[in-house]
Amino acid sequence: MSTAATHALDIAGLNAGYGRFDVIRDIALRVGKGEAVGLLGPNGAGKTTVLRSVMGLIRQRRGTIRVAGTDVVAMAPFRIARGLAAMAPEGRRLFLDQTVEDNLLLGGLHLRRDAARQERLLASVYELFPVLKGYRRRLSAALSGGEQQMVAIGRMLMSDPEIMLLDEPSVALSPVAVDIVVRALIELRKRGASILLVEQRIDVATRVCDRLYIMTHGEVVEEMTPDTARGAGMSLINKYLG
Amino acid sequence: MLQFVASGIAIGCVYGMIGMALAITFYVTRIINFAQGQLMMVTVMVTAEVTGLGYSAWLGVVAGLACSCIIGVLSYLIAVRPILAFNRFGFGWLVSTLGFAVMVENGAAWLWGPTSIPFPTILNNTSVHFGEAAVLTGQQILAIATALIAAVVFEVVRKRTLFGKIGMATAADPEMASAFGVNTTTVAIVAFAASALLAGLAGVMIGPSTFANPYLGDTFGTYGFIAMMIGGGTERPVAALYGGILLGLSAEGANALINSRASDWFPFLVLALILVVSPRGLFSSQSPLMRRRVAAAAR
Repeated sequence: MSTAATHALDIAGLNAGYGRFDVIRDIALRVGKGEAVGLLGPNGAGKTTVLRSVMGLIRQRRGTIRVAGTDVVAMAPFRIARGLAAMAPEGRRLFLDQTVEDNLLLGGLHLRRDAARQERLLASVYELFPVLKGYRRRLSAALSGGEQQMVAIGRMLMSDPEIMLLDEPSVALSPVAVDIVVRALIELRKRGASILLVEQRIDVATRVCDRLYIMTHGEVVEEMTPDTARGAGMSLINKYLG
Repeated sequence: MLQFVASGIAIGCVYGMIGMALAITFYVTRIINFAQGQLMMVTVMVTAEVTGLGYSAWLGVVAGLACSCIIGVLSYLIAVRPILAFNRFGFGWLVSTLGFAVMVENGAAWLWGPTSIPFPTILNNTSVHFGEAAVLTGQQILAIATALIAAVVFEVVRKRTLFGKIGMATAADPEMASAFGVNTTTVAIVAFAASALLAGLAGVMIGPSTFANPYLGDTFGTYGFIAMMIGGGTERPVAALYGGILLGLSAEGANALINSRASDWFPFLVLALILVVSPRGLFSSQSPLMRRRVAAAAR
């Protein structure tokens, strides 16, 4: 228990999938407290399935998934969402017919009776993304892609989770917006957040993360440091991500 | 002229309430509960029964509404939830809710027999004159007032309360809602109870003129469905009320201006025409009528 409790996320022997077959097989990965870990791989490698399994959004899953020492493998997503894990999903998936601030407050639903804590979290989100403060009464549908990604990350922060799961936050954003997102993730790491970042862009992952896992065909095939990944450069891209 | 407008609005509000009831459950679960008319009938029958036993009409109404709510929640737990758990995107709920409707209807017919039993008059014996032109019963005015209050309450809850915002999030993206701590089953149960309550209220409004009959649900369920479709309630539950009023006006108008049988077919013609012009309903955010307003609001 004591070793497990030192990890924000500890996955072992995880199989998960849809219908009759497993998309991911025998996954083992760890994210230490305050660590940022990248999960790289091509389309269809099963990266998103790993995140969805942690969040409980895939029913069919076997193995162990410990979040801060708690096994969540049999838990419903709305229980996992109560401070254990939170995600900024692929495609952002904001509640588009609601305002920016309502989206953020819905992110911290389990803290609704702790107004002071919610207020502090909201202030920290606006500190991270000052532009959102001016837009708080706007419908989130009216924001640009980059701003929507900020709301998605802010919504994730609002539940003050043990582990933050980010699914390709750089996808379909302008270079300027990608830079803002990357700086925000680096800032979160400085604040002591534990992050599992799914990415296809090596440059984004190496800037943010302490460690990287490479996934292909539903399996984790390699673990490396950002320096190794940078050194490997194009050969890594050609081998796995091409 | 004014008379058919006034009584059209009154009956339209009843259709609209059933339409809104259908729309509320559709909004949250994306299924249409074909037992909605039967939930209305349950209130009517139980109210009639309790009043028939010698208790006051208001006690009967409360008991009737409570029974509708319970059976509404049961319809979710028995006929919807297991089906959606099996396949969220299939159409199994179509058969299962229809089956639930048949069960409730036949249960009522077995309990009370197939013929009508008396329903308390409530405000049906009072009348209000609008100059020389129109006269409405107190019951009709009560129906209009109840529908308007229900619509306002629904909108205020939806937009101004945390529960409403949770409901909106669940409607828009149930999976994301659950990933942020929403117990979507609880939301659905509340929606089905609220929806049954609204259908039951519609029954209380119409009961004094139809009397209590186990087969009441068929007709009113169908008219409620039309109200939702022409209004565009699948996207904005309140739009179903507008659809209901339009339906009531066209039925009463056809009755007054064409002949008494026209009220049976004319509303369906209106339905067909509206769906050709605006497939998502007249007052949905996607209709040609509303698109400009929505665009202006987003700016």
